[in-house]
Amino acid sequence: MFPEYLIKKLVHMPVTYPISGLIFDVLQRKESKAFKQWVHFLLKTYRDAYHGKRPVIWINAFTPSELVYGLGGIPALPEIISALVAYMGISGRFISNANTYLSTDTCSFYRCVLGLVIEDYLPRPDLIISSSHLCDGANKFFRYLAQFLGCPHLFIDPPYWSDERGKRYLISQIKEVIKRASSIIDIPFSKERMGKAIKLSIEARAYIGKINKLRQAVPAPFSARDGLSYFTGMNIHSLGSKEGLLFHKTLYEEIKQKVENKEGYLPRERCRLLWLHHIRPYYKNEIFDIFDRKGAAVPFDEMSYLYWGDLDPDRSIESLAEKILSNIWAGPLERRTDAILKMVKDYDIDGVIHFSHWGCRQSCGGAGVIGDLLKDRDIPYIVLPGDGGDPQNYSPGQTRTRLEAFLEMLI
Amino acid sequence: MKKIYAGLDVGSLSTEAVILHGDEILGYSIVATGVNTLKAAQESIEKAIKEAGIDRGSICLFVATGYGRNRVPFADKNITEITCHAKGAHFLFPKTRSVIDIGGQDSKAITMDSSGRITDFVMNDKCAAGTGRFLEVMAGALETRLEDMGRQALKAKKAVAISSMCTVFAESEVVSLIADGYRKGDIIRAITEAISQRVFQMAKRLRIEEQITLSGGVAKNRGVVEALKSCLKKKVNVPAEPQIIGALGAALYARNVDKDS
Repeated sequence: MFPEYLIKKLVHMPVTYPISGLIFDVLQRKESKAFKQWVHFLLKTYRDAYHGKRPVIWINAFTPSELVYGLGGIPALPEIISALVAYMGISGRFISNANTYLSTDTCSFYRCVLGLVIEDYLPRPDLIISSSHLCDGANKFFRYLAQFLGCPHLFIDPPYWSDERGKRYLISQIKEVIKRASSIIDIPFSKERMGKAIKLSIEARAYIGKINKLRQAVPAPFSARDGLSYFTGMNIHSLGSKEGLLFHKTLYEEIKQKVENKEGYLPRERCRLLWLHHIRPYYKNEIFDIFDRKGAAVPFDEMSYLYWGDLDPDRSIESLAEKILSNIWAGPLERRTDAILKMVKDYDIDGVIHFSHWGCRQSCGGAGVIGDLLKDRDIPYIVLPGDGGDPQNYSPGQTRTRLEAFLEMLI
Repeated sequence: MKKIYAGLDVGSLSTEAVILHGDEILGYSIVATGVNTLKAAQESIEKAIKEAGIDRGSICLFVATGYGRNRVPFADKNITEITCHAKGAHFLFPKTRSVIDIGGQDSKAITMDSSGRITDFVMNDKCAAGTGRFLEVMAGALETRLEDMGRQALKAKKAVAISSMCTVFAESEVVSLIADGYRKGDIIRAITEAISQRVFQMAKRLRIEEQITLSGGVAKNRGVVEALKSCLKKKVNVPAEPQIIGALGAALYARNVDKDS
């Protein structure tokens, strides 16, 4: 429709974002308020990033966004951009370009990021901060990106164990990251600013807890399809910001209203599923359409699970370390399995689907053990191989057969 | 009065139809699917009807299964082949608790309870290794008829080593083995053992219990069956016509649906 150079120019122009917001408001009038707030949050974040209002700090998923807000930067999450690009149906081209540099076994979200970097679509970072607690490849990949972009890279390497020794080790790393990051972005560290970010995060966290409680309702008020897109997107990108707090408050009120009205997102709920893994396929696919057609509600997804406790604005750095260390997808697998069993109980789950994202070892490594654990409790379980970002790895026929057969077992 | 039901299994390589009257299979057919699934479905059902000696109008319910199940407009319902293979195997061998189905492009292992209800299943991934298509390609490379491969595998005294299970790489490996002077029978045995190992490893992900019933076209290959039996070390049933188990399951499903309605 538009020539390539024009699209790229528009992407880099800060004015594009408020105009896009206006167009979005007109075209998507019927969307929920929380959804609109999410879109406006993204538009504002990237307007500011392209405008160079504050230093742009790239982080990977699960590096606490509070850290960036507390440092005075603008957090940009390339993995979320990859998911959006996949949703727009254009990830294939960027992934294909990246395949020149990376093995095709590398996570497609990372390959898409590299493709976007090669074509200069992303806001240039002043600094990249990554953490390896979920993905061991993250620090290596972001180091590679930093070299590609010629920008500084700081990394956090959380320990396996979350005992006092491990906590001390992590706190020392976060302190060092803060010290060096403040110097790189040339903004002196302010305890007050960090404390404010933590306070906003605490308030948003309270709403996340309430939202998750409401999602236990029958019929399910909110689908994991949305849970795995804008809800969890905001959980990893917006915590520590005013916009994040507003979004979570709005979403809570919307879901509360639905629960009070006994309004399920499906006309008739025949069974309830739990989705495991942090992502779902974001390109055009029929997975959740199959669930909807068959009356299989997916009231909850593992990624929405609130794993961290209350943070403390007076102990900001310790709190961030505790948040990282309490991540159920890092450290011993027992933490994850205990949480999954709790989710099965809390959300009255009939069957569990473990998405197995091509290129992700972190989550899929435990899939067999989780399967055994659930099968011992007579909870039907299926591993669904696929790819979250690369449509070339999506096999519609096989996916449909697997899912329909699984539902035939349940319904 | 007993009613007549039809099951249709539209697979990637072949399409099968079964006409069921009570517990009796009145007729069945197997045709190549080709490029036009609807045409294959029509042809298959017409052949089965002819063999059964009935009028099409006497069939009270059609159920389609297989990868082309959604492309059969005359089917009243459709259901996955996983459910159908379990139903078909349980009908023929009521003590069946596990099914291993090796079809044209898919292989599956299914477990069920004593009532035939599926408890778990696993399917191969996108790769066609360990399926009928793999055998078909190898038969082409060896210039051997597909139906002769089982016999030749059983006659072979030893298997040569085949290192790759990728259909493309294995084909070139087979060509090299022929050029190196290895006997055709030994290569075929290696191929059948490789398929069996692949399927066995996949099936082991489930809690496979006796009795095990084999279904799908590859179960006609005695070489694969014997190799699988030696891997499984459990009681294995092979139906007289393993290729129609999916279609039979679809017909049985039609009967259940009609009874329930």
